[in-house]
Amino acid sequence: MSTESADTDPESEPEYEARVGGLHALSRLLDDTTAKISLVLIAIISAMALFAFIDAEFLDYQLASTYLYHPLRAEGGAQPLLPPVGLSNEFGTGVWAHPIGTDTRGRDLAVRILYGSRIAIQIALVSTTIGVVVGTIVGAVAGYYGGWVDDVLMRFVEILYSIPFLVLVIAFMAAFGRNLTYAMIGVSIISVPIFGRLIRSEVLSIREETYVEAAQAAGVKDRNILRRHIIPNSFAPVVVQTTLQMGTNILIVAGLSFLGFGAQPPTPSWGQMLSIARNYMLPAPWFSVWPGVAILVTVMAFNILGDGLRDTLDPRLNE
Amino acid sequence: MTTDTPLLRVENLQTQFNTAEGTVRAVDGISFEVHEGETVGLVGESGAGKSVAISSVLRLVESPGEIVGGEVQFRGESLISFEEGPNGEPRPAPEMLSDKEMRERIRGREIATIFQDPMESLNPVFTVGGQLQEFIEINRDLPPKDARDVAIETLREVDIPKPEDRFGDYPHEFSGGMRQRVLIAMAMACQPSLILADEPTTALDVTVEGEILNLVSTLQEEYGTSLVWVTHDLAVVADICDRVNVMYLGQIAEQAEVNELFYNTKHPYTQALLNSVPRPDKTVESLNPIKGVMPEAINPPSGCRFHPRCPDAREICREINPDPRDVSETSVVHNAACVKHDVFDVGYNASTPIQGAEDEFGEDLQVTEETQ
Amino acid sequence: MSHLQYSVKRLLQAIPVLLGITSITFLLINAMPGSPVEVMLGPTATEEMIESARVRYGFDQPLHIRYVKYIIAVLGGDLGRSIHYGVPVTTKILERLPVTLLLLVSSFTFAISVAIPLGIASARRRNQPIDHASRVVSLIGVSTPNFWIGLVLIIVFGYYLQILPSNGLVMPFTPISEVSGADSRLDVLVETLRSLIMPTIALGTLQMAAISRIERSSMLEVLGRDYIKLARAFGVKESVISRKHAFRNAQLPVVTIIGLQLTSALGGAVLTETVFNINGMGRLIIQAIRTQDYALIMGTTLFFGFMFVVGTLLTDLTYAYLDPRVTYDGE
Repeated sequence: MSTESADTDPESEPEYEARVGGLHALSRLLDDTTAKISLVLIAIISAMALFAFIDAEFLDYQLASTYLYHPLRAEGGAQPLLPPVGLSNEFGTGVWAHPIGTDTRGRDLAVRILYGSRIAIQIALVSTTIGVVVGTIVGAVAGYYGGWVDDVLMRFVEILYSIPFLVLVIAFMAAFGRNLTYAMIGVSIISVPIFGRLIRSEVLSIREETYVEAAQAAGVKDRNILRRHIIPNSFAPVVVQTTLQMGTNILIVAGLSFLGFGAQPPTPSWGQMLSIARNYMLPAPWFSVWPGVAILVTVMAFNILGDGLRDTLDPRLNE
Repeated sequence: MTTDTPLLRVENLQTQFNTAEGTVRAVDGISFEVHEGETVGLVGESGAGKSVAISSVLRLVESPGEIVGGEVQFRGESLISFEEGPNGEPRPAPEMLSDKEMRERIRGREIATIFQDPMESLNPVFTVGGQLQEFIEINRDLPPKDARDVAIETLREVDIPKPEDRFGDYPHEFSGGMRQRVLIAMAMACQPSLILADEPTTALDVTVEGEILNLVSTLQEEYGTSLVWVTHDLAVVADICDRVNVMYLGQIAEQAEVNELFYNTKHPYTQALLNSVPRPDKTVESLNPIKGVMPEAINPPSGCRFHPRCPDAREICREINPDPRDVSETSVVHNAACVKHDVFDVGYNASTPIQGAEDEFGEDLQVTEETQ
Repeated sequence: MSHLQYSVKRLLQAIPVLLGITSITFLLINAMPGSPVEVMLGPTATEEMIESARVRYGFDQPLHIRYVKYIIAVLGGDLGRSIHYGVPVTTKILERLPVTLLLLVSSFTFAISVAIPLGIASARRRNQPIDHASRVVSLIGVSTPNFWIGLVLIIVFGYYLQILPSNGLVMPFTPISEVSGADSRLDVLVETLRSLIMPTIALGTLQMAAISRIERSSMLEVLGRDYIKLARAFGVKESVISRKHAFRNAQLPVVTIIGLQLTSALGGAVLTETVFNINGMGRLIIQAIRTQDYALIMGTTLFFGFMFVVGTLLTDLTYAYLDPRVTYDGE
């Protein structure tokens, strides 16, 4: 940790690194093989998602060939519900052009799953970020000031927490709208209480630490105390929870998509693909497999990363 | 007062911890004895290895810790013993008691323990009386009803008022001092020959500590139990110990009878400890803390482990790590692990004193070595 | 404070939360498209119904009055009327409730009875094969969408092996005549079990994985505590230590997690019931949305919230029962 020369004015105290120096934590993290695996996985998934952000038309133009069909549009002569390579069913035999088969409209499954990652990651990222930011503000204020502010805020959080996540988002979307934007808002709303509570409990314990007392005695403004001392020191569990929450939110979004709330067709999303697959279980069972595997792998990557982070950042307490 | 065979005999005990950063040699060859009826002190700073030594005697060292050498005998029976294996490596010897025998015959029954933190040492979800009763049932082979009566009586003996009522109370309903009395009751109720007490009064405030010490002395006189008392507080040592072992970084620095230790100190570390304690009968300008801090056991200094902080250190001290030898002028044994005594004969007097470079505070400090 | 006093205290604390949930649903109702009349009564309401509802719900009165009237109505068990089914919402909910309860009880029983032994075994045999295996299983379990598990189970056991029914849940007290192939009450019960297996596994896997993880980490933590070391130092057998000394202490965080799992289980019930075509409350809310039956949607949401609050209450009481420190005033 670096320290710079201190001025006499307490307000201009040097910026200290958070107790968990970023680089230090990262290097320790990379010692852990499972964490490495998960980072690789997440890198792959993010690359996929990024790839999917590229304009579809542009992609189609660049890669137009018999090998990759346009994921959002089936051309004439498309073969619906083809099985994966090597298998055959009433619709035909699998071909290498569509390694894991096609969907009901003849669109290549592999590419659709690739594009589906975009929705998953997009929503998870946005909603988790909003959840962290808003939750941090709420939790920090509630924890630091205590008193009636704390009571009111926590009461609100508790109420929000009391309606099962999925049900609340569904009801929310039933009232306001069923598209992607409202899905994101809904999932953000339910992410806020989780972080709010977490930050609050961190703040409560850090608030009692002597260095906070010292800063208060030196006349440092509250918001600066929060910003420089309290929030950096509560960093560790928040990072862990953020990672895990990304995974959880992906699961929630998948569930929403499965039920028809979320990205509307023809935009591909994994949950929605499973919902369609359900109607074709007999003729095309594999259709049900792959989107689920995609969800599983993605969420697992975040969970492994979150666990790895937790082991890296928290054991300092046990040492 | 001493008999021929010591009650407990520890010889060259070695316990280490295999961590990611390396091997921590927490106990690196200590030897001491406890005779019937006596109280032996085990003194040292935090991290010196005292608690590990205690756990090792009972063979309760858990992974990543491991007892790797030495002999421990209790009443002539071998608790820990090593022999040479086929590759020349030490391995546990067959005459050692089995785990089952340790559990059934030794732990709690012959050798009992008192831990440091009474709040943490009592199970919060069970009643105090229930826990006490269980230990009595196991170690004195009594049926529940009898064990319960014994439990209540023992609680009375440690001066817990209304023991019949408090039997059914939970640990959090007791004060710190009361809880420590419960731990003492547990140790005594099983009627052991030896009690290992690991800093039992450190967590208590001074007045309560005084009461507990009195209690322990009284009980000891009455039952003749031997005690090993681990502490970092020299005042407690002076109060209740018959003999004392001073530990530093996993090894024994000095061993002597208590008065000898205080008035005829033979090791610079012990001397420094005594000098650093503030004395109410003297007014001084400044206190004398021991310079520097005790290094970690994973990377001990070369030679004598105390030499970087020792005011009497000389070049020879960097090279030789002495074990305790008798430096006494009388027939009573007084061991010290310091080469400045003639009995070591390594040329201490001829060696040049180590002059210190200044540390970052501008104070004199002995040169600290980085060793591998 | 005795257990009874604590229970009462917790009950009282639950009231503002219930009030808050009701307020949320009230807000959502007012955000719904259409007039409040349509929302609560549906477009097929008769003049008389609208008139009496006007008094009860205060349609033409300012917001705060409507709010109060809504709360009073809810307290009286009146959640509006389902347009699709033509019956009061409460009736419909009560009809579907036992199904969901059966599913929830079944999945939690499955989850707990697998997770706790697994977690304990994992903690006691740390870093040995069973530990690694159970950790991997748990990791997969918390990462898998439950509706996908349901789909895969249906494909394998329902379609290919054809040994388990995949459509609907047979309740134990269904009349024998309505259950195909059943000649006795026993047959009906067997059918109940058969139809329960797959949904239970689908819904309960996430719970099981989460609980076993916390069980393991909690046991590990407790086994490192001083009072465990003391028990060992006094010669207590290892099996007694984990069974008696460690177990109860370790359950405390587990109970907390079970409480948290309730919320995901209730949400999961919606998905599981959809996949298996089970007519429980979860499916009800989806069907209500499909038919734009707003009163039903809101009533069901409210009820879900109530269920969760009750569940949390039970969890807290269990925790207090296990941990004598909780009811103690002084600490």
